[in-house]
Amino acid sequence: METTHRLEWTLLATPLMVFLLVCLGFPAIVNLIYSVSDISFETLRNPEISGFGNFVAVLTDSGFWRANWFSLRFGLLTAILECLIGLGLAVFLAPLFKDRSWPIAILMLPLMVAPALMGLMYRLVLHEFAGPVPHYLWAWFGNSPAFLGPNSAFWTLAVVETLQWTPFAFLLFHMAYQAIPEELREAASIDGVMGLARFWRIELPLMLPTLAAALLIRFIDGFRVFDNVYVLTGSGAGGSTTSLSIYIYEAFFKQAAIGKAVAASVILFAASFAVLYGLNRLARRRRR
Amino acid sequence: MLNAIRWAVFALAAFAMNFPLIVTLVTSFKSAREISTNPGLWINAPTLENYATVLTVSDRLNIFLYLANSFAVAAMGTLLAVALALPAAYAIVRGRFGEKTLLPLIVNLRAVPLVIFAIPIYMMFQFMGLLDTRLGLGLVMTIVNIPLVLIILVNAISDVPFELDEAAMIDGVSRTGILFKIVGPVCRPALVTSMIFGFITAWNEFLFGLMLTTSKAVPVTVGASFFFAASGGGVQWGVAAAVMMVGALPPMLLGLFMYRKISGTMMAGAVKG
Repeated sequence: METTHRLEWTLLATPLMVFLLVCLGFPAIVNLIYSVSDISFETLRNPEISGFGNFVAVLTDSGFWRANWFSLRFGLLTAILECLIGLGLAVFLAPLFKDRSWPIAILMLPLMVAPALMGLMYRLVLHEFAGPVPHYLWAWFGNSPAFLGPNSAFWTLAVVETLQWTPFAFLLFHMAYQAIPEELREAASIDGVMGLARFWRIELPLMLPTLAAALLIRFIDGFRVFDNVYVLTGSGAGGSTTSLSIYIYEAFFKQAAIGKAVAASVILFAASFAVLYGLNRLARRRRR
Repeated sequence: MLNAIRWAVFALAAFAMNFPLIVTLVTSFKSAREISTNPGLWINAPTLENYATVLTVSDRLNIFLYLANSFAVAAMGTLLAVALALPAAYAIVRGRFGEKTLLPLIVNLRAVPLVIFAIPIYMMFQFMGLLDTRLGLGLVMTIVNIPLVLIILVNAISDVPFELDEAAMIDGVSRTGILFKIVGPVCRPALVTSMIFGFITAWNEFLFGLMLTTSKAVPVTVGASFFFAASGGGVQWGVAAAVMMVGALPPMLLGLFMYRKISGTMMAGAVKG
């Protein structure tokens, strides 16, 4: 009885497992083999295992570390900004959303736009002749910075990313805020805990799990950023905006440095699974 | 008074976040001459000529092909993901199958930078002749969609009372029968949201579209940039703006109509996952 059930469940999950095994398991193995091979476009079909030269090449490449540094800074900065602004908006504007939801729809709109198209839109917004931002800056202040130049590209991209994804953080905090039982707030106000004190001592602690989740999700997405950065600066501005995803993409497609690209992917793969594994263990221990 | 400040803050935030959309919409209705003389937010002489240019099919630029590709790829990536994830989610919830390994592994996939798999998938597709095909890109979109679809469906099936299954089992309905006749229909709202979600995600995807397609299967997120250098010379910003609006509109409309469902789903995916 027990074993037939087991078989039934396995059969139901089999299509998904087979699909993932073929579409991800196989590529993962190919990645591993290529990363320790002397690989070029000519030897793709029969790679020759040659040791860890690719890893040495990546780890001694200053471009790789620069890309890591960009991704890390970008992910941290944008995640923190998005969560701070999103939390502030969700709490301060909460009374506006009590009996109407169209304002939320308006704030959510940027989330529906492809980041790649959003990046292209900002190319227009910031364009020195056709863009309204430089136009108004010239008209009002007689000056306009080079938004995508080497010195300011990082900050421009961070603002672009933040403006598009703050709505995501806002939405999570909005739902978490609505989920706080009204009785708690009433009890607090009877005890004389009002306004900011109520936020710090009652509402914020209750929203901490959401805050942690939002920070993590936004950090991960910021860290692996590709689309909007790629279309806005094409990693350009002197390589100052090469994220790790762009580094891997360019090593493979632009420089045909397959070994380097594959080794970098394997490092990223190992790092992300290590981080996620650690986080999962933490989360599980918390739940107990 | 405080509420007036709130409205002002809301208006400011909404304006800042939607600014690129507003600019693009406005620019798409300006003639090339007006854009160069008046890059501001006001339109003096609205025109539809940019949209006419975008919708005109040429040898190099075919917006209808890009839209059709995006639609086909997103539809396939959504339906296949749901078809694969639904039975698995049922086995995970009711049979506690792979609860400890399979589910966390797939959920973690949501957070892994997919560029990791880009190179081997590119090579695999090259060997199999799947480069620049809708089928190939659709398969990749299925991978992209599976983690979130699975989480949504696992959550939804967990909320279905087990008594429903039991009653059906007493009546002699098989597991598969229960899944398709009882649990599936009860979960229809979650199925619909996961599909909308998956469709928007796949429609907006860019990296794999850029890597795996060159001409026949180009999705609109990639094709849009082709219009930037449409006629030699400088960028025709009006035309570029029009094509961006056309490419961004389908997911925006879906999102506007379904935002209540979508926001609930985002919460479930973010916190329960």
